[in-house]
Amino acid sequence: MASKTAAKDIITLRGSAAIVSEFFGYAANSILYNRAVYPEESFARVKKYGLPMLLTKDEGVKSFISNLNAQLSEWLEAGKLQRVVLVIMSMNTGEVLERWNFSIETDNEVVEKGVSREKSDKEIMREIQAIMRQIASSITYLPCLDEQCVFDVLAYTDTDVAVPFTWMESSDAKLIANPQMVKLHSFDTKIHKVNTLVSYKNDEELDDEE
Amino acid sequence: MILRTPAPKRARPIEPAPIIESPPVGSDHRQLAIYEDPSSAGPARREPSQQSEHMLCTYQCRQMVKADFLDALSNAEKQVQDYQSKLAELNDNFGKADEERKTFREKLSYVEQELAAAKGREQALHDQLLKEVNDSHERLKKELELSSKLQAKLENEQNLRKKAESTAAAAEDKAKELEAKLGHISKSIEKEKKRFNNELAQLNRDSKFSITKITVDLEKMEFRAKSSEQEVELLRKQQEDLQSKFSECLHQKSELEKRLTSLSFEDDSPKESDVLVKHLQEELRNYESEVREARKLKSAHDSIELMKEKLLEEKSRRERVELQLPKLQEYELKINKLEDELSAWKLMIQDIPGVSCCDDVPLRISALQKEVIDNLKKLGEVNAHLKQMQVVLDKTQLDKQKTETEAALAKEKADRLEAEVKRMNLMLSAVSEERNMLKIAIEDFKSKNEQAGGHASSSAMQELESSLLKREPYIKELEGDLFAQKDINTRQQDEIKSLHDRLNSEARKVKSLERESDRLRSEIFLLESKLGHGDFSAANTKVLRMVNTLAVGNDAKQTIEALQSELQRTKEKLQALEEYKSQSGNSGKLVDSYMSGKVAQLKEQIATLEKREERYKTVFADRISVFRRACCELFGYKIVMDERQRPNGIPVTRFTLQSIYAMNDDEKLEFEYESGNTNIVENGYTSTSEISQQVDIFVRKMNSIPAFTANLTVESFNRRTLS
Repeated sequence: MASKTAAKDIITLRGSAAIVSEFFGYAANSILYNRAVYPEESFARVKKYGLPMLLTKDEGVKSFISNLNAQLSEWLEAGKLQRVVLVIMSMNTGEVLERWNFSIETDNEVVEKGVSREKSDKEIMREIQAIMRQIASSITYLPCLDEQCVFDVLAYTDTDVAVPFTWMESSDAKLIANPQMVKLHSFDTKIHKVNTLVSYKNDEELDDEE
Repeated sequence: MILRTPAPKRARPIEPAPIIESPPVGSDHRQLAIYEDPSSAGPARREPSQQSEHMLCTYQCRQMVKADFLDALSNAEKQVQDYQSKLAELNDNFGKADEERKTFREKLSYVEQELAAAKGREQALHDQLLKEVNDSHERLKKELELSSKLQAKLENEQNLRKKAESTAAAAEDKAKELEAKLGHISKSIEKEKKRFNNELAQLNRDSKFSITKITVDLEKMEFRAKSSEQEVELLRKQQEDLQSKFSECLHQKSELEKRLTSLSFEDDSPKESDVLVKHLQEELRNYESEVREARKLKSAHDSIELMKEKLLEEKSRRERVELQLPKLQEYELKINKLEDELSAWKLMIQDIPGVSCCDDVPLRISALQKEVIDNLKKLGEVNAHLKQMQVVLDKTQLDKQKTETEAALAKEKADRLEAEVKRMNLMLSAVSEERNMLKIAIEDFKSKNEQAGGHASSSAMQELESSLLKREPYIKELEGDLFAQKDINTRQQDEIKSLHDRLNSEARKVKSLERESDRLRSEIFLLESKLGHGDFSAANTKVLRMVNTLAVGNDAKQTIEALQSELQRTKEKLQALEEYKSQSGNSGKLVDSYMSGKVAQLKEQIATLEKREERYKTVFADRISVFRRACCELFGYKIVMDERQRPNGIPVTRFTLQSIYAMNDDEKLEFEYESGNTNIVENGYTSTSEISQQVDIFVRKMNSIPAFTANLTVESFNRRTLS
């Protein structure tokens, strides 16, 4: 979290990593709710970023996301994380239907020298709020997922990162052929800049399959 | 052309200082020459006349007067000289004043000429300006017309593009719909066709077979029936006969038995009785065989009755088939309709270019879709390019306007300079003309002065020459100004040329920059598409995936749920069937057996899944207990986790930690964990002074719970060991 010094606008590397990993947790929950990967009744309402956010009550999903956030925070502090991708796939066929891509640009000077940056917390929260609103409104243009779906998370890291024992290196990046892409807003803590993009399977192909 | 200097006036004979020849003093020649000067010599003439009147007195006085006269003459001569000098001075002054007047007149005329020239120039400039304004207006109008035409063209093209897009989208939708319909219909048609064909063939075969069979059977049965009826009648008769005979035989048998019993007591004629017995036995056997035959006939009769029943069944079957024959006709009509539809679809397929059979349709549609996608992409690119071109066009128009204004300003400058140069040239020519005229005038004056004689002309000449000399630097200055203006003009023209060249080079730069920006935009688009696609370089990046057991557990749960729902449905079906079974007889048994088999199967599946779940639970419980014990031994705290709900409904996980070195059971730490954040909860133990101090230092200030727990563990350990 941001250093709670007298001047609240100072952002350290650890604080920025915590903000980004927390954002990813809430974004993942929001995506799972909005895309109906899990039923509505398995989510509970909380207040975050000035918005009513939905968090899963399913213990398995909760622990998965919390473990994931802890690892992402560690990689962010080391400056080794390039991208995080949340993949939504069909349970029956295993086909990838959507890819929520969160690409991260790290200020290497902060990682190497340990300096801090200044940015208003309110500004960061406002930027994150805009992204959350866009995720919620994405159901207007994303195709309906009529079949049962599951999700998975991929992390694009530097090649010198040691693979934790709960993770494994995957040769399959779970890509979508000829996807439609929609670029969402981004937010910047001055140390980490997160760009959001959603790519989804072409609607016509889904209609053909139907 | 307006002359800057007036026409030279004729030199008046007395224009220069009137030359008065004063008689030489003391000369013998005493003739008084009266020189009449009409203008300046006027007052001087009167005095000599008065003197002459005095001179005309008597002889006597002549001598006296002569002396007086001579004195007066000398005085007069002196006066004359004075007057002459004065006259000369006055003449000089007059000449000067004349010259000044002339100069002023010249200046005035020059100024008037300049004014007229300026007015003329102004008029010319005004006309030129009007021309230029009109030209620029016309150009502006033309450009406005061009731009309006271009805008109209642009709007037309945009409309056409929109129309094309809408038609493409509509065509695409139609194609999709048609494709889907076609696929469905073709599939359904094929299926139905196959089914109908099969059914038809089967029905035909069955019907034919049944009909022939039935007819044959019917004939057979009829024949058999007839023959059996005949046989039955015969057999009945025989049976009656045999029955009568049997009854007779029985009667005889009873009599014979009586006889035999009676004969058994008599020994006479055993041979006859044996023969009788044998005969009777033979007859009995014959009768028994006849009875067997009668039984056979009876069974045949029963079989005939069965055959009759079968015949009736076959008849009913035949009737049913005959009833189904119109349905067959209906099916044939349907098949004909479907065949017509199929032919119509085939004709439609033939109309579609590039498609020869049904299998080519999806390929063609996919190719068309790809083409549509490519065209849409191209359209998007063209739109982007068009917008860029519009932006560039606006920019170039602005630049063009700027350069035009600059060029106009430069032109105006050049024109002004040219006008100034012309003016200077005119000035120079006028000045040179003046100089020439002055020279001519001087020469005339010289010639006139040579005729009149005297020194006075030399001074005037000298004055003229001095005035000329004075004018020469002025002329040189003017020439210098003219050259300077020419230089400035040439410099301005060079600047204009350089500006034009700069404009052209800037336009070329703009075009190259546009091309560069298009290329960069396309590159950015490609890169963004690659980024969105998820491509990465294996040299710099590796993809890691967290082990995800959610789907597996979900699978098991979902299969259990599905099986349970299926079990409920089968149970309901079973109940319904049992009810139906109570109403009907035989069919219920079959359904019952099937359903019971299915239910047993499902129950087995549920049992295996429940067992698996139990195993998972036990394994998990084992693992978690091992983990808890390990945590307790490694970190020195027993951790108890439980879920609670806050008053606002948000679920929260609470962890209760108790150190293994705790002195009593009240020494417990409580933490709440919610979405990645862990907060300490105040209780009786943490509100004590020692612990609260440590909480303030480690948790609140340093924000480190592990440091707090480690410190507490060490303190508790020290306390325990010391105690």
